[in-house]
Amino acid sequence: MAESRRFTDVELEQALRELGPRYPYPPTPNLALAVRRRIVAKPAAPVGRLALWRDPPRLALAAAVLLVLLGAAALINPGTRDAIAHFFHVSGVIVNRQPSPFPSLSPGTPLDLGRRSTMVDAQSVVSFPIAVPAELGAPDAVYVVSGIPGGEVALAYSPRPGIPLVQQTGLGVLVTEFRGDLIPGFITKGVEQGTTAQEVSVNGDPGWWIAGQPHMVIVRVSGTDYPLQLRMAANTLIWAHGGVTYRIESGLSKADAFRIAAGLP
Amino acid sequence: MEGRPLDDVALVERARNGDVNAYESLVQQYQQLAYRVAYQVTGDAADAEDAAQEAFVNAYYALGRFRPGAPFKPWLCRIVANEARNRRMAAHRRTALAERAQQAQASGEAAPSPEAAAEADEFREILVEALGQLRDDDRLILSYRLFFDFSEADMAEALKVPKGTVKSRLSRALTRLRAALPADFQLSSGGSVDG
Repeated sequence: MAESRRFTDVELEQALRELGPRYPYPPTPNLALAVRRRIVAKPAAPVGRLALWRDPPRLALAAAVLLVLLGAAALINPGTRDAIAHFFHVSGVIVNRQPSPFPSLSPGTPLDLGRRSTMVDAQSVVSFPIAVPAELGAPDAVYVVSGIPGGEVALAYSPRPGIPLVQQTGLGVLVTEFRGDLIPGFITKGVEQGTTAQEVSVNGDPGWWIAGQPHMVIVRVSGTDYPLQLRMAANTLIWAHGGVTYRIESGLSKADAFRIAAGLP
Repeated sequence: MEGRPLDDVALVERARNGDVNAYESLVQQYQQLAYRVAYQVTGDAADAEDAAQEAFVNAYYALGRFRPGAPFKPWLCRIVANEARNRRMAAHRRTALAERAQQAQASGEAAPSPEAAAEADEFREILVEALGQLRDDDRLILSYRLFFDFSEADMAEALKVPKGTVKSRLSRALTRLRAALPADFQLSSGGSVDG
């Protein structure tokens, strides 16, 4: 084999065909179970474009999304900004009050937290020090998103005694952290009548406590092929400190959420 | 590993309508291919697993945009390859396929090969190493064609390139692979090579 001769394309192709079945791949993991678990946990059925128009609830939902986004656009318009400037307290987040209730949206909308990661790996991806709430300790799972400025990390905590399951996330507590100063309008929250949106001070920084009826969250990641993400969220405490926006979503009371926040910047 | 197109069409249609079992069948059918495509890009087992899993989940939620009747396999592979690239870039890793291949072989084979087989093993190792030096696109097109036996149409779809350019891309990838082979595998007189 080692004779000094150059291979033709045909010979090289043949050598590669023979290599194929012997290529030293690691054993294929069983992905089917993990994938099934993830899509069952978030069972939003994939729907074709045309089906939207045959599905009045989804059409109504799309209209509601449009309303929220238009509202967000209005907030960004300098002409209207002054009147409602207090909505801009938390960088990277727009809270938008809705005049009418949302159409019902199942809690099964995709919860795309990014890729499963470890603290060490996630820290190498995001551009800020990841803060872990002392009240909760090490997360049960870490997810990271690298395709946005500064990156985003999500710390997921399973339900446990004292921390109820949140239907919207399938988790007990979800803590997300991202560079809100780099991504204005990354998250738009639509808050309708059954939800209270209260301005609060978290560790001395301005924030929001959004509670009551689940509220709509829209995450927009520009420059990628990812679809607009949209889901209903549970009680949320959100604030920004030092350019980083922190978000705690849970079924906990305001006092409990603040206790968790006390262990964060 | 190879799918049956008619079955795919039916399974995809059922999955589009929210049938999770149908989608699971598709995952089982294509998980090895997806994992291996991802591994060709990342060169890392954990990253390849993450990328393949993420690709299957993303593909499920994107089925609403999938053209009914279109081939599922190359569409899936495109998503897998994109996910794998994202992971590799995120981790700021350079692919080290050749090194990992050597590690895999060193740990996988307990006893040294007999002399007759050793030459073939050595040749395969050299090929794997040379492949590891190529760009993703080159390694992918060679893998799709020669490892996974994709048709030209499927390669064009998986790589998102015009069908008419597949042959020339494949030929250029082969040329670069040949250039990546050690010098003692080449004709000393620099003999002509087609392609």
